[in-house]
This record gives sequence, structure tokens and C-alpha cells, in this order.
Amino acid sequence: MKAIEFINVDRAFKDGDKTVKALQPTNFSIDRGQFVAIIGPSGSGKSTFLTIAGGLQAPSHGEVKINGQRFSTESEKKRAQIRLSEIGFILQASNLVPFLTIKQQLQLVDRVDKGNVNREEIVTLLEQLDIEDLQNKYPSGISGGQRQRAAIARALYNDPTIILADEPTASLDTDKAYQVVEILAQETKKKNKATIMVTHDTRLIKYCDQVFEMKDGVLQEAQLTATT
Amino acid sequence: MFLAWNEIKYSKVRYLLIIGVLFLISYLVFFLTGLAYGLAQENRTAIDSWDADGIILPEEANGNFNMSLFSAEELDNIQADEKAILGQTPAVIEKDQEDSGEDRLDVRFLGIDTEQFLTPDVVEGRLVESNGEVVADISLKEENGLNLNDSITLVGGEQAFEIVGFMEDAKLSVAPVLYTTIEAFQEVRFGEPVSDDSELAISAIVVRSETDELDQVTIDNDQLELISIGDFINDLPGYNAQLLTFVFMISFLIVIAAIVIGIFIYVLTMQKINIFGVMKAQGISSGYISKSVIAQTFLLSLIGVLVGLLATLGTALLLPAAVPFRSNELFLIVVSMLMIGIAILGALFSVRTIVKIDPLKAIS
Repeated sequence: MKAIEFINVDRAFKDGDKTVKALQPTNFSIDRGQFVAIIGPSGSGKSTFLTIAGGLQAPSHGEVKINGQRFSTESEKKRAQIRLSEIGFILQASNLVPFLTIKQQLQLVDRVDKGNVNREEIVTLLEQLDIEDLQNKYPSGISGGQRQRAAIARALYNDPTIILADEPTASLDTDKAYQVVEILAQETKKKNKATIMVTHDTRLIKYCDQVFEMKDGVLQEAQLTATT
Repeated sequence: MFLAWNEIKYSKVRYLLIIGVLFLISYLVFFLTGLAYGLAQENRTAIDSWDADGIILPEEANGNFNMSLFSAEELDNIQADEKAILGQTPAVIEKDQEDSGEDRLDVRFLGIDTEQFLTPDVVEGRLVESNGEVVADISLKEENGLNLNDSITLVGGEQAFEIVGFMEDAKLSVAPVLYTTIEAFQEVRFGEPVSDDSELAISAIVVRSETDELDQVTIDNDQLELISIGDFINDLPGYNAQLLTFVFMISFLIVIAAIVIGIFIYVLTMQKINIFGVMKAQGISSGYISKSVIAQTFLLSLIGVLVGLLATLGTALLLPAAVPFRSNELFLIVVSMLMIGIAILGALFSVRTIVKIDPLKAIS
């Protein structure tokens, strides 16, 4: 069973009188345990692809399935429930809740989804990501790299099957960027997740199993060897 | 509550300021309510203390106590479970030993038959036993320094009275009441005593009914009318106008408070659109976020209202006795609940904004 599957998915926008095709008809799938990168220039449709995968917008045509189940055709409420339990989002600027400590960011997921807090699970995850000392710190009190690791912890905490990372290294220096992508790759393998990372930084794709290139809304498999 | 409380803890100064505004608004509302209630009570406590159901006045008095005068013999024409004659007249008194003019006081003399049910509950001293004695409202002691056995004189007259007792809550039209005999009332009102009981004039006959209904009261005189105590109080000169003024002031204040709180919460919500958008992108429902905003409003308004309430009660302890402030548990609870309820209503405007937040825009 595919973790995520795009079946003839496209996305078009109205821009005045014109219709802009942000994503051309696309067929794509990824299995659990796979780490896939999508590269391409700005405005090529990478983020549109990722947000459709995450159910934040519906495709104009076609269908997205998560673990073999209907997803894109479900109601917004149902998509939000699936997102909460099956998808972990990691965003460009980490987007942690500023008034919650790192530990509370994870507790929030618990409170919304399960209703109880698993303290051991939180500590274990933070230890794995080497940020256990920061659990009582607020996002404003830690570095960009630490924030991104905290965002990874939050995305992984609910044990989702799919990780969607949108430029997760954009605000980091090279060393920290490598570190973050390495963690993502490790977690993908260790916890059998399906991870899609959108990035414009081709130096990072050496950690990925498969690389796709998005150009003018068309998704094509890229030659891994040519970019490493 | 998790998000709500943690955000308050994180942004302490911001939320302290909001609580401060809520506190000031609730303090003002509580204080005005206390003053309005106190002033209203000062118009009527003497009447309330009768625990009566109705009052009989001549029709031509048009419900006005001050314009009412008829023969005490009319008592025989009234059938009621309990009935009592009452004479009422405003007067100015002064302490006997001084004549500075500064100690002159506006009072209301109430003449009663001490064998009937209008006899006051004396908290200090004793009941009147002769025509030269009065039982006074305790405010004359607390605010004007009059004591038991003090002598008071009517300004413009020669009658002198000795204070033989004090009672609580005996004010009528904001003036302290002096209970005396019906004969003494006659003398205060007309300047001379009556020689014959048949000449005795009274202001009203007050009735009680065992069933609290006035249907059982009958009057064998077309010139007299029976008025319920509630209607009689509402028709006291100036009472209703005063009460309505305060009710409208307080109501508008509560509505304005709701709008202010609604705007505060709305502005705070707008500032957090991105955070809420990211939460929604992660699958946290609009319902959870909305509940959190409402819980936060509840917490803020609860703290603000409680502090306002405590400050009001504290201030009340420091107020001079002359300030007509009174607290009433029921009013305080109702006003507190109204303030909190309306604050939450104000927060509901933000829920629409939360539901409309597009997570896609927030993460872009």
C-alpha cells in the first residue's frame, strides 16, 4: 500500500482572465521508509504539490490517497483529522507556537489528538533529536537549528506515516541544514515513515532515496547522480 | 484551556493590561450598581420593613403618600387579615441643645399604633410608649451623632421628642424615619393635639394578607383605593426615574464593556492568525482553537471581574456612612455573570475569523 498517492492530480488557478496551471496532471506515489526530495526553482509548483499532498488545498482534478484511503475528496474537517493523525508538517520557519515551550508544543498534539500526555515519549523523542535540555525553553530562546529540530520532534511526535517538509533548511546555515536533513533521513528509515522534502538546495539531496524535479508545474524524476 | 493559560503565562504584561481594563470596567459597574441599589433602598427600606402587601389611600391622592389624608375611622371599613393605620409627614428637626442650623435634619415622621403590625424592630433601646418619644433610624446615630435619650425639636414648632430606640433600615424617600405614636404625628402635622379620637387623621392604612394576594382585602368606601406595595413603591416621587437612570447607565456600561472586550479579543486573534493557521495546517481543528480563545476570554474576564468585585467590596468598607452604597449578593452574582457572559459573547466574533483562517496562506 502506498503511503501517499497522486492519481492524475492537477491544480489550476484563475488569475484575472487567465488560467494558471500550477500543477500539471501528475501521477506520483511514495512508500513508507522512502525519503523523497522535490527540487525546482521558486514558483515551479513545489509548494502547491506539497500543500495538495497535505490536504491544505484540493486538486482541480484527480485524487490524492493516503495509505490507500480517500483523502483529497474528503471534507475539510475530515482532512484536518487525517492530517493530525497521519501527516507531520515541517515548515520553512519552523512555525512553532511562540507561547509554548518545546515540551508543550508536543503536549499540544497530545491534548488535541489523544487527550493524555505521554511524558516518556516526549523525553525519548527530544533525546533522539538531542534537544532534551531545551524542553522548557520557548522558541524565541533557542537557535534556528534547535527550533527546526523541535519542529521535527513535533512533526514526528504523533507517529504519523507521512512527513511533509517544506524547505526545512531555508533559515539554517549549511552545517545545521545538513544536520536537520540527516535527522529527517534517519527518522524516515528508523520509524518507517514516508517523507517528502521540498527544497531548492540540491546539496541536501544526497540523503534522499529519490529526487524529483518540478518545472513549470511538471513533476519529473531527476538524475540523482547528476546533482550530487 | 491549555493554549489559553500558557499564552497568558507567556505574555504576562499584555494580559495583565487586559485584565486591568476588565477590572476597571467591572469595578465601575459594581460600584455604580452598589450606589444605585443603595439609593433605591434608601427610598424604600421603611416600607419594605413593614412586610405588607397593600396600602390604602384616598383615590384623589393619586397614589401619592404626601397628598393623602383621611379619617382614622375608615379602618373599620377595611376587611383584611391584618391592618394598621399610618400617619406620615416630612419634617425638619434639630438637636435640642444646639441651634446652629448645621444640625438640622430632614426626616420623615411615621405615626403608628404600637398595638398594630407596623411596630418597628428596635435594635437598641425600646419602643415608644408615650407621645413625646420616637424610635429613629440608626443612621441618625451613625451619621449625625444622635444617641438614646437625646432630645430633638421640630424646627418651626415647639414639640420636643426623646429618642428612646433605634432601628435599622428605616428610610423613606432618602430621609431617616422617626416612628412615633399616631397622636404625636397628629401634633407634628397640624401643630396641635387632637382632643377626640374621631378627629384623628391618618395618611394611609397598610394591610397584610396571609396569602400575599390582595383579593381578600375589601374596602367599604368608594373614595379609597387599594394599591399593591410594589406599585406604591414604584410611584414614590422620583424613585422610578432614579432607578431607570441607573439601570440604563449600568446596562449601557455593560454593553460598552462587551464591545471593548470583543474588540480586544478580536485584535488579539488577528495578531495570531499566522499561529492559528499553522496549527490548522497541522490538523488542529478550528473548534479546538475557538474553544481556546473562548476559554482565554473566560479566564481573563473571570479574573478581571473577581478583582473588580473584591476592590468594590474593599472600597465599600472605606466609604463614609453617608454614601448610599449597598451590596446585594444576587445583584453581584447577576452582574458578574453578565459581565463574563457578555465578554464571551464578544469573543464569539473572533470565532468566525478563526474558522475563516486559511492554513495555506498562513504557511506560505
